[in-house]
Amino acid sequence: MVASTVPPPRRRSGWRRRAAPYAHLAPALLAIGLTTVYPLVSALITSFRHWRLNETREPGEFVGLEQYERAFTDGTFYNSAWVTLEFTVISVVLSVGLGLGIALILNNRTRLSAFTKALLILPFAVAPALKGFSWRFMLNPDTGVYDKMVDTVLPFFDDINWLGDPFWALMVLALTEVWGWAPLIALMLLGGLGSISPEVREAAKLDGASPWQEFWRVTFPLLRPLLLVVVFLKAVFSVKIFDQVVTTTGGGPGRATESMNFFAYSQGFTFLDIGYASAVSWVIVLVLGVLAALYLIAMARQEAK
Amino acid sequence: MTDMAVKREPAAAPVEPPPPRRRRKRSAWSAAGSAARVTATMAILFFVLFPIVWMALTAFKPARDAFSTALVFTPSLENFSAVLGGQSDLTGALLNSVLIGAATTVIAVPLALLAAYAFSRYRFPGHRSMLLAIVATQFIPGVAIALPFLTLFRSLGLIDTHLALVIVNLSIVVPYITWLLKGFVDSLPVEIEEAARIDGCGQVSLLWRVITPLAAPGIFVSAVFSFLLAWNEFLFPTFLSRSDATTLPVALMTLVLPEGVAWGQMAAAGLLVMAPMLVMAFLVRKHFTEGMTMGAVK
Repeated sequence: MVASTVPPPRRRSGWRRRAAPYAHLAPALLAIGLTTVYPLVSALITSFRHWRLNETREPGEFVGLEQYERAFTDGTFYNSAWVTLEFTVISVVLSVGLGLGIALILNNRTRLSAFTKALLILPFAVAPALKGFSWRFMLNPDTGVYDKMVDTVLPFFDDINWLGDPFWALMVLALTEVWGWAPLIALMLLGGLGSISPEVREAAKLDGASPWQEFWRVTFPLLRPLLLVVVFLKAVFSVKIFDQVVTTTGGGPGRATESMNFFAYSQGFTFLDIGYASAVSWVIVLVLGVLAALYLIAMARQEAK
Repeated sequence: MTDMAVKREPAAAPVEPPPPRRRRKRSAWSAAGSAARVTATMAILFFVLFPIVWMALTAFKPARDAFSTALVFTPSLENFSAVLGGQSDLTGALLNSVLIGAATTVIAVPLALLAAYAFSRYRFPGHRSMLLAIVATQFIPGVAIALPFLTLFRSLGLIDTHLALVIVNLSIVVPYITWLLKGFVDSLPVEIEEAARIDGCGQVSLLWRVITPLAAPGIFVSAVFSFLLAWNEFLFPTFLSRSDATTLPVALMTLVLPEGVAWGQMAAAGLLVMAPMLVMAFLVRKHFTEGMTMGAVK
């Protein structure tokens, strides 16, 4: 080989080159593994055991699927599953519906819209626990500012004790979530709306389509893959609802707003039944696993588009 | 965001002005339409901002006026002095929040940057599945992480320590910002690295002297997200702290007194929880949608 004037780049031996990516990944993978894989496996093992912290410090004997059988014959567990489902449906529908409305209203280039878009992210940055307190304060049936507004506009709502009524308590809980998510979803959808070519919509307009027809026949079909991504994303985070349950309703009235996460928390943390709480938390892991798979499929489709 | 604007530009030119007869009808429509749009936008602004504004106002009201809906009042710092060193002192929790947020960020960002670099620059067996696994960790419910750590930290005597909360925070922060930083490293030109390598730059100094400065905006954004996620976290400190390491969002619970919630103080403390995050979120607002949807929306 003829020696070139430029010194050749340092060649590393084959195994070192192959090991390079893993060497870079090792610290992060170690941290993620230690803080996610370890607890998941540990919770799975504990879910097959009997373990009450108030009886023994060390985990007790293996009891097979007993904790899971207990969950599926426990009315209060079913209640929490039902509450979580209701909450998820309500908050997904409201967040995505309102988010889409906001996106369509702001999908133009006026200064007012630009100003509003810049502020849309703010509610999402408020700690969820604080959102709970904030809405609880504003909907206080005697003194809350939103309660007063509602009572002025709709006098027959005067008697409603928002957090004392099972239906409205769940709605308020959903509202704390919608307040942060609807504007965020609007921002995501505005990204999608921006990528729809204006020629397509202009063509529909020239063909005499009303704004209503234009939306359902042109915009909506083009936006649908992205909407699906957003729906699953919101569903995943709704199933995980915990913070606002603690700060807004404490699970009440009765058990009307006790989500699955809150149920697992009260079994493990309040009643110190670690075995049962671990089984419940693994049921939540499985539910979220299914939703996550659906989300990833929807995302792959959106990317393929 | 920028490429969106570029795509829009050329479309404006070929649109021909509509014939004059239709124009009058349309302008009447569009006048009504834009009035409706302005009204609707105002409603959106009200929906988004009012809870924030109301909490800020309540925080500055004299304590006895917490329940008044008056918009005009003499501002008072009573509530702030109560929560900052006064009767319901939350200064300790505030310091804990700052400390835990900062420590989480300082640990998480370098780890995530290294991993993001590997995902961006190398193709290796397991690339896709590891990336997918990192995304998937975001869907793990907090209780399934907090419960095992509750029992582990109990036996290690780490309950109610800052270290415990920093460790557990890494479970959400590291995967999230790894994904975020991968996007930033992807957008850096490879040529600079090749040039540096030809000049004899080793891997360590390449990462430190070339990649880190180039990815500085991305590092800033991910540092903000790390801090924000750690700051707003509620489930972990609820499980793993009692009093010494309690963070501010959890300490809000101490304002729920047997005789009712101390709303004035709650608003002041709430403003302390909220205000720094509002500023941070505003600074990185363009990156929220990218991070949350793992790049499905650009």
